[in-house]
Amino acid sequence: MDQIFHNLVIGFGVAVTPINLFFALIGCLLGTLIGVLPGIGPVATIAMLLPITFNLSPVGALIMLAGIYYGAQYGGSTTAILVNIPGESSSVVTCLDGYQMARQGRAGPALATAAIGSFFAGCVATVIIAVAAPPLAEVALKFGPSEYFSLMVFGLIAATVLAHGSLIKAIAMVIWGLLFGLVGTDVNSGVLRFTFGIPELSDGIGFVIVAMGMFGTAEIVANLEMKEHREIFTSKVKNLWPTKQDFKDAWGAVLRGTALGSALGILPGGGALLASFGAYSLEKKVSKHPEKFGKGAIEGVAAPESANNAGAQTSFIPMLTLGIPSNAVMALMIGALMIQGIAPGPQVMNEKPELFWGLIASMWVGNLMLVILNLPLIGMWVKLLTVPYRYLYPSILVFMAIGVYSLSNNAFDVLIMGVFGVVGYICAKLECEPAPMILGFILGPLMEENLRRAMLLSRGDPFVFVSPSKPISLGFLLASAVLLVIVALPAIRKKREEVFVEEG
Amino acid sequence: MKIRSQKDFWSGLMFIGSGLFFALWAMAFYQMGTAVRMGPAYFPTMLGFLLTVLGAAVLLQSLAMEPEGDQAVHTPFNIIDLLIVVAIYAVLILLSQNMGSSSDYAILGGTIIVSLLTAVFRPDAKPLVLVTAATIAYGYLMKPLGLVIATAALVFISAAGGHEFKWKEVIILFIILILFSVLVFVKGPIWPEYFG
Repeated sequence: MDQIFHNLVIGFGVAVTPINLFFALIGCLLGTLIGVLPGIGPVATIAMLLPITFNLSPVGALIMLAGIYYGAQYGGSTTAILVNIPGESSSVVTCLDGYQMARQGRAGPALATAAIGSFFAGCVATVIIAVAAPPLAEVALKFGPSEYFSLMVFGLIAATVLAHGSLIKAIAMVIWGLLFGLVGTDVNSGVLRFTFGIPELSDGIGFVIVAMGMFGTAEIVANLEMKEHREIFTSKVKNLWPTKQDFKDAWGAVLRGTALGSALGILPGGGALLASFGAYSLEKKVSKHPEKFGKGAIEGVAAPESANNAGAQTSFIPMLTLGIPSNAVMALMIGALMIQGIAPGPQVMNEKPELFWGLIASMWVGNLMLVILNLPLIGMWVKLLTVPYRYLYPSILVFMAIGVYSLSNNAFDVLIMGVFGVVGYICAKLECEPAPMILGFILGPLMEENLRRAMLLSRGDPFVFVSPSKPISLGFLLASAVLLVIVALPAIRKKREEVFVEEG
Repeated sequence: MKIRSQKDFWSGLMFIGSGLFFALWAMAFYQMGTAVRMGPAYFPTMLGFLLTVLGAAVLLQSLAMEPEGDQAVHTPFNIIDLLIVVAIYAVLILLSQNMGSSSDYAILGGTIIVSLLTAVFRPDAKPLVLVTAATIAYGYLMKPLGLVIATAALVFISAAGGHEFKWKEVIILFIILILFSVLVFVKGPIWPEYFG
């Protein structure tokens, strides 16, 4: 307990310096700004804003990115409530009751409930990270290459199981991502792989570029193909504060949502997404008046919003302690760390305590800022929603193009973004999820490296991963197998499909 | 045998195609090595074949033995158009390499041709092609012509990919965005070099 307190003091010492507060503020503002814009999810938002953090110190960059992430999530719920367009998949369920509340003229209380619920969840999740991360990192420090390889297999499998859509296609997308991740110079032999004589490819394909293409341009194209029809409740956002009855109805939902979200967020994969879906169904089950759900029940906003914020936050745990991304956003965070010259993994906590604890403390600071900022600023975000898409998307494109171009002042990077935009578009048409691909993409080189090392150590014995002398590795692989079998069972498969299509 | 899901059918083909490509390319050009000391070909070959197998599974799932389902094979996107686009770029790049000039011009030229073709023959594909073309044009115009003209290309071409295009609006948008770009953009030329 003392240790945790001590660590948090270090963290707040870093996070509450004026410059880092400033980065957190800018991150939250920018994140909300972009997140509010319909049709741009957190992944695209972070990818888009990543280049502006390159010149910052590692601590500043991570703090700002975390702020962007929460801001984007928060902005996503705002659009869900006001426009019935989920800014991201984890606010899909917020649409159900939040939008109905807005239609009944209760947009203000819905937004306030979302903000307060998220803040509460954020506080709890920050403490959970501070408590859970050190022992996990301790364990992870003992991991050898075979444990790491198996852990990555488990992470990737779990990520596909918890994602929606076809399981087998999701796994195929992961492998596709792994393969794309291998493009470039092979570290062991120095051989240029899959570069086709193009010198720009010898350093590999930048993950920011891939993410911007798959999530950014592809989403813009998808939005342009749909006709614009939006109904916005701008005039109706007044009397923000929820009533006493609202508080009474919502607090239980906030607690349950936070608990569920924190637990699910640690799991690889849909963290925040599964958390919000799960929390919504749970509320509906425990509610005394389930018939109110879908018609503007405040619990239907409070629970998923708390859950997805808690999940968003605890999904930092595997990233920070193991160096393994649990979702596409965390993959981007890892990429950002690597760009800053920090190898993500358990050693970060010991080698750079100020970075680690500073980030954790700034999560809490970021959550506080969002509440303080967003409730008064809601009027401004709402105005932003009325900006027609035909002004927005060229602006977004300019932003992305500048970002990608200035990565290395290279036209080829922009071309690659365009190509991955087309790939993302085709994938969307074929209902192949891009998120697992991004995970695979970032893990490709790491997986190969660990596989090679493990095989070298075991003198080529492939059974090293499942040998009883390596119980952790064996455990991860068994868990992956169990997950796959469970999901393949017809009964569960049906249930899983139900969960993800439920009223979505 | 009928196709139950066109989407799965084509995703299956896509995975098989790229899986085989990666695996065979790796086997043909890189050292395989042994399990103990893996060469550069080892991991991609494994993954490539795994992807092929998964793709085959997706493909098989998409085929139904029952008579119901779609008869003809049709793509959810126009695959022939895609091939034409790839072919245009390939021809131009080969030509430019034979002439000894930079393939940058070939990519720019190809982008212009593809955009014009789309605008004339495939208005439905305008969002995809013009948005992509706009970003590519931006990248390749930056070095020779500078930020202002590159941004102009990006804004005007991408705006043409939307539903409505009003000159006045787009010009105002362009002016705002160029001001923004000049503020944040420090590296690289703003105007064409021979302007000053």
